[in-house]
Amino acid sequence: MSKSNGNILEIKDLCVRVGTEEVLNHIDLEIPDGEVHALLGQNGSGKTSLMMAIMGFSEYEVTHGTILFQGKDITESDVCERARLGIALAQQRPPTIRGVTLRDILAYFFRNEDNPEKKISGLAVSSRMESLLDRDINHGLSGGEIKRAELLQLLALSPIFSMLDEPDSGVDVEALSLMGELINRLFTFDPDHPVHRKAGLIITHCGSILRSFPIDKAYVMVNGQIGCSGNPTILMKHINNFGYDSCIRCMGAR
Amino acid sequence: MVLNDADREALTVTGVYLGSTVRSATIVVCDLAQVCLENNTRGFELMPISSALERYSWLREQYFFKALPADLDETVSRCAKEVDPLGFFLHVDKGVKIAFPVQAAMYMKNEDIVQIIHNVIILEEDSELQLITGCLAGHEIKTGTHIAIEEQYIGKNARLVSTMVHAWGSEQFVYPHTGTVVEEGGRFESNYVSLRPAKHFVSNPQSWLIGKGASAKYLTVVLASPGSVIETGGTVYLNAEDTSAELAHRGVCTGGVMNQGGLLVGVASCKAHVDCAGMLLFCGEGGYIESVPGLRSMHPDARMSHEASIGKIAPEQVQYLMSKGMEEREAISMLIRGFLGTDVEGLGAELDGQIAKIVEVAGHGED
Repeated sequence: MSKSNGNILEIKDLCVRVGTEEVLNHIDLEIPDGEVHALLGQNGSGKTSLMMAIMGFSEYEVTHGTILFQGKDITESDVCERARLGIALAQQRPPTIRGVTLRDILAYFFRNEDNPEKKISGLAVSSRMESLLDRDINHGLSGGEIKRAELLQLLALSPIFSMLDEPDSGVDVEALSLMGELINRLFTFDPDHPVHRKAGLIITHCGSILRSFPIDKAYVMVNGQIGCSGNPTILMKHINNFGYDSCIRCMGAR
Repeated sequence: MVLNDADREALTVTGVYLGSTVRSATIVVCDLAQVCLENNTRGFELMPISSALERYSWLREQYFFKALPADLDETVSRCAKEVDPLGFFLHVDKGVKIAFPVQAAMYMKNEDIVQIIHNVIILEEDSELQLITGCLAGHEIKTGTHIAIEEQYIGKNARLVSTMVHAWGSEQFVYPHTGTVVEEGGRFESNYVSLRPAKHFVSNPQSWLIGKGASAKYLTVVLASPGSVIETGGTVYLNAEDTSAELAHRGVCTGGVMNQGGLLVGVASCKAHVDCAGMLLFCGEGGYIESVPGLRSMHPDARMSHEASIGKIAPEQVQYLMSKGMEEREAISMLIRGFLGTDVEGLGAELDGQIAKIVEVAGHGED
């Protein structure tokens, strides 16, 4: 096992293919422990592919490079092993599963607890998601409800590294503040010490989540590559003023 | 013949618990004899069908071979040839709601037995009953034939919930046939679960909803392993206005032949739906699932629909659950349990055991 150098996640020269299509090209990324970074970019730029590759979904085939988590090379680990190391992903478009309810999955998470039902209901009440507990996974849910159901699972898992794929898209203004509150809770160890946070990665297309949740660093992805990185507010302001086209031109000129 | 501890243990597989305080009454047929009859509850009668036929002349006149006429088909006519039939008579008085389920077991303890059963169940007006029937072969038993007919009469505003669990030997032949008549406002709910398939199993329960607002709901859950041929049907005749019926088949096939059928006949204004869903994990040699849900409408206000689907376990669903920390085996198990969509009391451990075997086979299928 190599040393983590204070980084919880290190991605080195990563290339990923889905079928015959190259979706990620020579990605380098480092996330220090305790920091939350953001991926910005147009649809199809590779943001979701990067998260799916980090999580280890088998459809995303690593053709080159490595992924280190807490210094351990997990490039060949399957998705379950990565989850058990403490990596979790709230997908933007998770599959629908008939007959399996959110309660079933939460019961699995809490299977070794003395009173799993109490834990489930406590979590659902504090997240205002009681009505979703007995619904089939993602069946007939609105975009916002899917986001909340995914987030509820992450809250139950309490991972040390969380990835959220567009938690702010398709969510109305009222629900956005609830999402912000839940995301803050997800990344917080102790409410009395809010600056001490768990690490993670968040994809945002429109940047609304940046208003309710502080991000340490952001990257702009273009065509499966990382272009600029830096202060999230400055990057988002630039994109709002000049659009992603300016990033594409900039990348092309390099 | 006396049931020993091993026999008692065998019965629990199908949800039949002898000596249980949460059962209202018990009757057990073992091979060719009735071996147990317990009834400490008032408001209904439970007795061998042969005793009931001797005691009540009206039983033969009004109910015996009336829902299922003696010449209906081969199964029924074979039962009609029995001079002294095995089986039970269950009669619930008007307005009586039985608190705990009545349980019955048809147990084949020895090889090569031909067990022929005839049950008659009558629920008078406003009564309610939950019936658990376990039909099974002993753990090591492979051969034999089980032929059974059951005639059920559900009175006005009465309700019968019937849970039938089967667990057979791999070389057995099993032909059950149930006929149910439901009067005005009556409700019939049938859950059928097959844990260990027979070599050949044919079931086509029939219901006649003859009173206004009567309803029938069937859930059939079948696991078909290599070497088995499973034919599950169900016909509901919606003969009166505002009647309703739901027919749902769930089958997991790991190499056998599975035919899922079902016919809804809308004779009056009614609402009816039939849904066949199959999960084909492994075909083996000649295994398949065939789903043919059917509708026949004979009234312009009959609202009827059907759907059928056959698929495998979706890899993206497995990976999704694995991304939540489940091992592949755990994920597949949760998906199969979710697909079967059943939670029959007392079956958890046995069903989990069967699902574990399916997961094993499913793993081989993906190699």
